[in-house]
Amino acid sequence: MLILRVLYLRPQHGYGIAQSIRTASSDVLQVETGSLYPALHRLEKQGWVKAEWKNTENNQRAKFYSLTAAGKKQLKREEDRWNLMSSAIQGLMSGGNA
Amino acid sequence: MKFLRRKNDELDEEIRFHMNMAEQERIARGETPEEARRNARREFGNELLTKEVTRQMWTWVWLERFAQDIRYAFRQMKANPGFTATAILTLGLGLGAITAMFSIVNGVLLEPLGFTKPGELFVVRAVPPPQFKIAGDFPVNGRIFHEWRDKCQSCENIALAHFDYLTMVGLGQPEKLPALSVSYNFFRTLGVQPVLGRDFLRDEEHPPLGDKVILTDQLWRTRFAADPQVMGRKLQLNGETYTVIGVMPPTLHLPQGEQWGALAGPPVAPLIFKAFHVDLSKQPSNGEMNYVALVRGKPGLGARPISDELKTIITPFQVQNHTNFSIGVFPLARQMTRNARSALWFLLATVAAVLLIVCINVGNLMLVRASSRTREAGIRIALGAGRGGIFGLVLREALVLVTLGGMLGLLLAQLGVRLLVLAAPPGVPRIDEVHIDWRVMAFAGAAVLLATLVCGLLPAWRLSRTEPQESLKAASSNSTATGSKLRIREILAGLEVALSTIVLIAGGLLLMSFLRVLKVERGFETVHVITQDVSFLAPKYAKDGRRYFVEDIIPKLAQIPGVEVAGGTTLLPLRGEDWLDGLESPDAPPKADDEILIANFRFVTPGYFQAMGIRLIEGRFLDASDKNQFRVVISESAAKRLWPGRSALGRRVGGTGAMTEISTEVVGVVSDVPAGGLDKTPPYTIYEHYWRMQPINMSFVLRTRAEPEAVIGSLHRVLRDADPEMALPATQTMDQIIEESLAVRRFQMELAGGFAIAALLLASLGIYGIISFGVARRISEIGIRMALGAKSDQVVGMILKQGMLPVIVGLVAGLAGAWFAARLLATQLFGITVHDPITIGIVTVMLALAGLASCWIPARRAARIDPLRALRFE
Repeated sequence: MLILRVLYLRPQHGYGIAQSIRTASSDVLQVETGSLYPALHRLEKQGWVKAEWKNTENNQRAKFYSLTAAGKKQLKREEDRWNLMSSAIQGLMSGGNA
Repeated sequence: MKFLRRKNDELDEEIRFHMNMAEQERIARGETPEEARRNARREFGNELLTKEVTRQMWTWVWLERFAQDIRYAFRQMKANPGFTATAILTLGLGLGAITAMFSIVNGVLLEPLGFTKPGELFVVRAVPPPQFKIAGDFPVNGRIFHEWRDKCQSCENIALAHFDYLTMVGLGQPEKLPALSVSYNFFRTLGVQPVLGRDFLRDEEHPPLGDKVILTDQLWRTRFAADPQVMGRKLQLNGETYTVIGVMPPTLHLPQGEQWGALAGPPVAPLIFKAFHVDLSKQPSNGEMNYVALVRGKPGLGARPISDELKTIITPFQVQNHTNFSIGVFPLARQMTRNARSALWFLLATVAAVLLIVCINVGNLMLVRASSRTREAGIRIALGAGRGGIFGLVLREALVLVTLGGMLGLLLAQLGVRLLVLAAPPGVPRIDEVHIDWRVMAFAGAAVLLATLVCGLLPAWRLSRTEPQESLKAASSNSTATGSKLRIREILAGLEVALSTIVLIAGGLLLMSFLRVLKVERGFETVHVITQDVSFLAPKYAKDGRRYFVEDIIPKLAQIPGVEVAGGTTLLPLRGEDWLDGLESPDAPPKADDEILIANFRFVTPGYFQAMGIRLIEGRFLDASDKNQFRVVISESAAKRLWPGRSALGRRVGGTGAMTEISTEVVGVVSDVPAGGLDKTPPYTIYEHYWRMQPINMSFVLRTRAEPEAVIGSLHRVLRDADPEMALPATQTMDQIIEESLAVRRFQMELAGGFAIAALLLASLGIYGIISFGVARRISEIGIRMALGAKSDQVVGMILKQGMLPVIVGLVAGLAGAWFAARLLATQLFGITVHDPITIGIVTVMLALAGLASCWIPARRAARIDPLRALRFE
């Protein structure tokens, strides 16, 4: 979901995705490269992201991943589920505090 | 694979890019380039593993692993060329043999007949009532056919056929063409049409329109140069003019002779067809049972309703003529292959047993290699290889071996099929249709898969269960083997022995039967006897021509230099039974039951008995004085049957049909002569002077002083001088005729014998391999034993004892198996029972000796081990 979320903003290459997740979560979340690439390739196979070779700002060839329509739908589904989950957990936590 | 490589390159580049970015960022943050590279690496973690896991996300990773395993298998094979070559060669031979054998089974038994909806086609046969006391059935009565054709409701079509010869003159040498006279609707019933010209019309069954013929593709090509303008050509056949109206397709494969059922004619493919009808005015009132009837049933109808209706239709005729023959309706496909069926399945089963032995041998070799690879497997498992992976790896190795063997096998099968078809005796139904088709390929594929499992399962299972700790601890593969491993190999050895016992006994029984058949009392002498078939078909022979021709020619034949005696008969021994009629005698004591005796009637010249070497038992042979007299010579068994314990001379005998007058006097008794085959009981035979019969077909028989082939030229010249238009089919010595009658039996015996020998050799090799390996593993153990004082005899004894145990157990199991399996062979044996003690004894001794020899060599080797060297061997 995190990857999909990052790609929702703009197409990114693998390294960029890792950096984005780290900065966006203020270094709390660190994506292991050992999981990142398998995940990307799996998403690609499932048709949620598509990949193309493009040049970066400093003219290096890199594989850019972008969200497909199916990926956007999937992101929406996962966000909904996450919201549901987190609000439930939230409720549980605050309820427990009260 | 190219696609895969590109995908891999892209992944490498992607990772490299990641690394570069990380490095650059670190450099930007002020790290030195080396530090940056090192830290980026560290941060990334295990690069290889990442790539590996990523790759697994691709679906076709299994394919890659498969390819990898196959590559590995090839590497393994290259490392063991001896093993590989042996395995592939034996597997190739085994798979080739079974594929070739299956092509025959497929072509002969499984492939549907090349007619439209062959399942609707049936052959109609006359089934004798129980009083006849004979097995089998007869051709149908021609008199009842028209009623069938007019009335049968369950028949879509019903046709009649009759085998004939037509002598064709005017096109090179006169030629006797095997022909089929057919009712006009014969081809319509089969559902085949001429490729050129047209089929017969209804009116063409009768004169004056009946002068039409249809050619087979073969005749059209060989005698008419495939001339498309052949339609309308006039042919001189049997002295009459016929017009060609059609040519049948090359794919027309008609049943031949006995494939239509017993007594339906010689096993020759007809080359030409003419339409005919049964001329009732020329038939005896109760008809002649000489015809093949072919039915196409209404769709979906089985044999039962058809035969019921056909029986009902002929009931009035039967009541009128006091006959009580029943009607049998048999599917054409089964009828054609009736005699070949069990023999072919038996041969296929034999080859399967041989293939199984091959697979066990290869599997065993792999097992042997597996145990020397436990270290490798242990390391693999310790490094994280899944047990399933190892299992698959070994199985795939087996697959590569067997597939290569299978490819070799297919090549060999191509060759084998051609050889088998060439070597097959005449009369094997549909043998000319045998070829390798998709069904054979599918069978070969299935055989490869099955063989892979048989070869690979055990070693795969064995290796995948390797305990890494143990296998790595064990310093070398020379340690004593654990019990269970040995037991598996012993079971395999036992299985091989059991299988080869069964195959050997089957082959042995067939061989013994063959030898018995050769030794059968023949009742005639074959040395220096030559025969020449002739037919008197031209109109000039219509009246008394045949009699006078024979009377004239016999003295001329006898005068040929080198000829001792000349004679002639309507049918030679071993050319099948024909001219059958009920046998009756007014002088015979009344029979207890109403059994009807059937005899073969032969019409012969007086010299025939001497020429054929038929022995005189009582009275005299026929002589010139018997011309036009009611006198016969009868065979010994017929005389004994009619007048047991008393002389047959002077008694009266005859045929119930039109063949021979009931009050014919017996003047002599001669030895029994086989007709249907040396392995069949000779029929009761009645010989009458040819003058009374006017034979259309005759075989001249010459007894010569020296090699009979020497007189062939003069024989032909004498006959040609007498009638230049007479067709002369190939001249045969009596030995050739006997050989021909034995061909099927010899073919089957040789194949089964060959497979049996192959099984014996393979099993011996297998046992040898297993025992040698056992000895090799135990070199140090044996060394210790000998160092401790064991004598070499004791070592030999120990190895022999251990080696012979599975041989003996397998032998006993095989004998038990053969006891039951041999019953399937019962119909193909002659003169021995399925449990022939001599065969079983010989096979037992042979196998025991083979087993002993296979164990002896490694045992000797073990005994010669030098204890010092053996102990240092580690």
